[in-house]
Amino acid sequence: MIASAPAVLRVAQLGKRYSSEGPAALSGVSFDVAEGELLAVVGPSGCGKTTLLRLLCGLTPPSDGAVLFNGRPVLRPPREFALVFQDYSRSLFPWLSVLRNVMFSLRGVGLPKAERVVRAETVLEELGLHGVARKYPWELSGGMQQRVALGRALVSRPEILLLDEPFASVDALTRAELQDVLLRVHGSTEGRRVTIVHVTHDIDEAVYLADRVLILSPAPGHVVRSIEVGLARPRAQTATRSSPRFLAVRNEIHVVIAARQE
Amino acid sequence: MAVTVSRFGRRLLGVVVFAAALGIWEAWARSEGSFLVPPASAVAERAGQVWPTTDFLITVAASLKRLAAGFVIGAGIGVAVGLMMGSSRRTRRTLEPLTEFSRAIPPIAIVPVAIVLLGLGDAMRIAVIAFAVCFPVLVNTIEGVRAVSPEARDTASMLHVSSVGRTFRIYFPAALPCIVAGLRIAVAIGLLMVVISEFVGEGDGLGRYILFQQSQFNIPEMYGGILFLGLLGYVLNRLFLLAERRVLAWHYGAAGGPAP
Repeated sequence: MIASAPAVLRVAQLGKRYSSEGPAALSGVSFDVAEGELLAVVGPSGCGKTTLLRLLCGLTPPSDGAVLFNGRPVLRPPREFALVFQDYSRSLFPWLSVLRNVMFSLRGVGLPKAERVVRAETVLEELGLHGVARKYPWELSGGMQQRVALGRALVSRPEILLLDEPFASVDALTRAELQDVLLRVHGSTEGRRVTIVHVTHDIDEAVYLADRVLILSPAPGHVVRSIEVGLARPRAQTATRSSPRFLAVRNEIHVVIAARQE
Repeated sequence: MAVTVSRFGRRLLGVVVFAAALGIWEAWARSEGSFLVPPASAVAERAGQVWPTTDFLITVAASLKRLAAGFVIGAGIGVAVGLMMGSSRRTRRTLEPLTEFSRAIPPIAIVPVAIVLLGLGDAMRIAVIAFAVCFPVLVNTIEGVRAVSPEARDTASMLHVSSVGRTFRIYFPAALPCIVAGLRIAVAIGLLMVVISEFVGEGDGLGRYILFQQSQFNIPEMYGGILFLGLLGYVLNRLFLLAERRVLAWHYGAAGGPAP
């Protein structure tokens, strides 16, 4: 059970100011993420969702508080973390083929090249990217490119996968497709499941994907509410989204956010 | 209705304008009737005799050798320093006043200094060519590296890519379209400096050739030399574009635009 799993990521009184006099982007953010949990973070735009993600993975140092990964403070990006950005066109390297983009994550891991090729090809297959290994990112559709970006994150077999509005730049149908790809990734890992923190402004997406949804307040962002989604897995676009539980959770989140904005 | 001109039509128009310019030159020279203003046909006729000779080809080769040497040195320094300045804010702040000042000096003004320091030989010529070539490459390299997306930088941080790895695996390829654009500008400036540097001192090369023919009142030969320089610059630029299209196929694909 998720609830009884140990916290792999602990966030304690996290705060961030970008300048000493400026306003705080985040203040007093505390929560735990259990091993294997899929946690969604929602909040109004400008509430510091992206800042939170950067602090979680050690790309930006916090002004207050700490992020603990397996009990150790995160001071720089840990090897066990992987990050997927919203803008795939800016995060993938256009001069590298799809395969080499994915293999880039395995640099310095100490695997022989043949092994790296096999691992990258396997990940691409798993993500439904058949026969595109030799193509360049720009030869693919936006949804396919984001799959490649996901592949680049997953190929190193991270324990923590951080997603920053990963499906915000694609059309609605592709978004639904990618959501299901993510659910497959989260559900299929044999042994230990990958722990996912998914930042989004799409409340329906958060409920559809997550075990639990954190709601952040407007800036300076802090956790207003943590809501257990409690929907059965595996989930399916139409069945899950039309279930009473889905609608109830979704409405609850809307109410909480609306109340904070008055 | 708007007038649509096909690609072929536009190209044809370019040829027509070029031919018209030659025609005006021809007509004007004939009406002048002075040996100081030879008609285009006379220049072309003399060029047809002179250009294939071994002497002339040696002259061209001497200039090209200087251009190549100065270009490789200057572009090398430009790319290397540009990568350092582009990737480190501290290095940029440290070197920027110096590079911005040096860049503002018209490179031709460096020639007397180079003569004092290096004499009137090829060392001086290669040095001034390298000096002039360096700056457009430097500036474009810095711009290219600075334009690397924050996502690419974050990806490097997440993967613990070393600063050397970042420079060669991310900054250099990402900046390559900019660098190549700088190199193309640099070729033209390099050719300019070849001619200027050959105007001084003894020796060979196209610059010297033009000056010599002028002093001998071999006016058609002088014009022939100038036309050859124009042709050389044009061909070098074309070769660069060709190489660019091959090496940077990914860039034109990603940008969605046609290759230049």
